[in-house]
Amino acid sequence: MPLWYYDKKDLKSTPSIHDGVDAETEQRYRREGCRFILDLGFRLGLRSETMGTGAVFFHRFYMFHSFKQYPRYAMATCCLFLSGKVEETPKKIRDIMKTARLILEGARERYIPTLGDEKGDLILQYERILLPTVKFDFCIASPYSFLKQYAKTIVGDKEQIRQMFQMAWTFVNDSYCTTLCLQWEPEIIAIAVLYLACKLSKFEITDWTTKKENSKQKWWEQFVEGLTKDIIEDICHQHLDLYSKSNLSSPGNGTVGNPSIMLTPTQTNSTVTSPIQPISIESPSTSRSMPSAKRPRNDDESNYRSSRNNNHHHSSFLNSNIGGIPTNLTVPPLPSSTSYHHPIICCSIVKIPPDRNDQ
Amino acid sequence: MAYQTRPVEQARPLEQAPLEFPYIGDVSQYERIDKIGQGTFGEVFKARCKKTDDFVAMKLILMDQEKEGFPITALREIKILQELRHDNIVRLIEVCRSAMDKSSRSKFYFIFEFCDHDLAGVLRNAHVKFSLGHIKSIMQQLLDGLYFIHKNHIIHRDIKSANILITRNGVLKLADFGLAKVITPPKPNHQNRYTCRVVTLWYRPPELLLGERDYGPAIDMWGVGCIFAEMWIRSPIMQGNSEQHQLELISHLCGSIEPSVWPSVTKLPFYTKLKLPQNERRKVQDRMKPYIQEPLALDLIDKLLTLDPKLRIDADNALNSDFFYSEPPLAELKPLLSKYPSMFELKEVSRNAHNQQMQQQQRMKQARPNVPNLPSETIY
Ligand SMILES: Nc1ncnc2c1ncn2[C@@H]1O[C@H](COP(=O)(O)OP(=O)(O)OP(=O)(O)O)[C@@H](O)[C@H]1O
Ligand SMILES: [Mg+2]
Repeated sequence: MPLWYYDKKDLKSTPSIHDGVDAETEQRYRREGCRFILDLGFRLGLRSETMGTGAVFFHRFYMFHSFKQYPRYAMATCCLFLSGKVEETPKKIRDIMKTARLILEGARERYIPTLGDEKGDLILQYERILLPTVKFDFCIASPYSFLKQYAKTIVGDKEQIRQMFQMAWTFVNDSYCTTLCLQWEPEIIAIAVLYLACKLSKFEITDWTTKKENSKQKWWEQFVEGLTKDIIEDICHQHLDLYSKSNLSSPGNGTVGNPSIMLTPTQTNSTVTSPIQPISIESPSTSRSMPSAKRPRNDDESNYRSSRNNNHHHSSFLNSNIGGIPTNLTVPPLPSSTSYHHPIICCSIVKIPPDRNDQ
Repeated sequence: MAYQTRPVEQARPLEQAPLEFPYIGDVSQYERIDKIGQGTFGEVFKARCKKTDDFVAMKLILMDQEKEGFPITALREIKILQELRHDNIVRLIEVCRSAMDKSSRSKFYFIFEFCDHDLAGVLRNAHVKFSLGHIKSIMQQLLDGLYFIHKNHIIHRDIKSANILITRNGVLKLADFGLAKVITPPKPNHQNRYTCRVVTLWYRPPELLLGERDYGPAIDMWGVGCIFAEMWIRSPIMQGNSEQHQLELISHLCGSIEPSVWPSVTKLPFYTKLKLPQNERRKVQDRMKPYIQEPLALDLIDKLLTLDPKLRIDADNALNSDFFYSEPPLAELKPLLSKYPSMFELKEVSRNAHNQQMQQQQRMKQARPNVPNLPSETIY
């Protein structure tokens, strides 16, 4: 199977960048495309997993093609159309087209022509390009499933865990708007969002079902051996950048004030090497951009966000405004100890201990 | 009771180091040699990889009439084959595309590892004489493959001898996952609604014929029972020409379909709608005795061809049955098969006959399967 993980270096030399799109704009295109996938999927009543797979297709596609050649909303529509079929939640192309156009009405009207005709012929043509580009690789696990599995093992106050789990779930949604799925396996992203949700809800995981007495093991080491705190925090920082950037475009809305997040400072000039070959990343702190007062050049995102707020969009952490804990979310209940079992053997390169509840 | 159980490792998927095939993506890198099959969804070619010189099988993915883009059935087949890696499951090397044609459309092909034989072809070849050890080896490999997919919550839904391939090294490969499906394990308050128009008629179990839509791995086990008997009888054992006729053949062999042997049968949609033979005695063993002398084999076939899917033996228990642990031991298939050329090099005539038979067995057609000339060897 092809390897789908990239260094930060690779992410700075994508086809779009070679095509004259600057890095920041590409980030924004990716973000907007994935938000669009989440929104489209939500309106069509699709499951989070389906949208996640669509977003992964989207990110992978633009590691081989330029945003200048394939307009983002059309390709995003195509990615969700394909992931619907891949995840056994197919939606008719006509319905997808109808909803996609609807979403773009208003502030983003000018993008409607990029979707092609109402029958979706362009999207079907794009599918023939998307399929070989993603190398027909449909083994796409989502952080959602691992999140469910991991959350089950935490021991502590049920209500606190539930809230934290919900927050982590929305972080997974949001994480698709970053390039994290091009850098890390879903297992690791699941750990990172859980870690972040713990920090934000001031919950410390001190006990878990498989904890050995007097062991110095961190809770996540039961799932991914050798995963360091530095890597997790780098992921968290990348994730939080999403909010700080977005906050720029709509001041006063964000609730994730940086000061409330006490991640340990990471040293500069250190190289964090992933325990999982062949991924390696650079020092986490150097690439981190600080929020500034600069206004975005393009008004897309702010328009989009204000319209979304009226829609009670279910899935983003950005929309929550009560003490940082998202409300009004479509999040599944915390799984009971026997309910979750991935139907297919795990084909990831990450070593995971066997699920205790798997009979 | 089996006096020996399988070692645990054997029950687990072999974590085989995958053979490294290059990712090619472009079908022109494969050189077509011969047409070897005509499936419902496309043609199958034997081809050679120009880079590695290995033989492959190339199956065209038909997408002309698709209004919904790339067919979901093909996506399913790809996804399932990607996630299932096992010695007894055919290996999907990659999916390729052809260069675009005028309408800027390219064709897509599955590229499979090439297998020299399919079981249907081997069974038709009267020169191939199986020993009991050979049959044990074939059945065990088939059950190993099924055990693996069932364990992973996948049902094949088209078990028949034409979908069972054998390599020149004598390794059996379960193929054609075009109808396979990931199933959700049974839950108390949840009913699945799968289509019951699956499985080639002659291998279709009674519950599907009666319209069951909440079925499971047991449907594949019925097919195993049919193939098991076919190993001796050398042609499909129940060649019905309609659902009604198939149910009649089943009743003649396995006894009347009634609540005394299958309590929940009354709940099935067509149970009261179809006229089923009454007062039929179960005579699986009696009618097969003339062909099959091995009592342990008869016993296992009997358990596989159980009417009630809940009572039908599963792959795990079948593998543990005494049949596989009695004398004579399993025999290697390689020496037997290497005497014969690949079935795909046989004369055009027999290939045509084969293709005709395959077309007759077409599945998932809206119309009832129409079999005008039943092969003469039908035993029931
Ligand atoms: N890997 C392979 N090696 C050799 N022959 C193969 C291979 N795959 C398929 N074939 C041949 O092609 C035939 C059809 O292939 P397959 O069953 O995958 O296609 P299909 O379109 O789903 O067919 P059907 O509708 O007849 O079940 C097989 O019965 C077999 O004879
Ligand atoms: Mg077939």
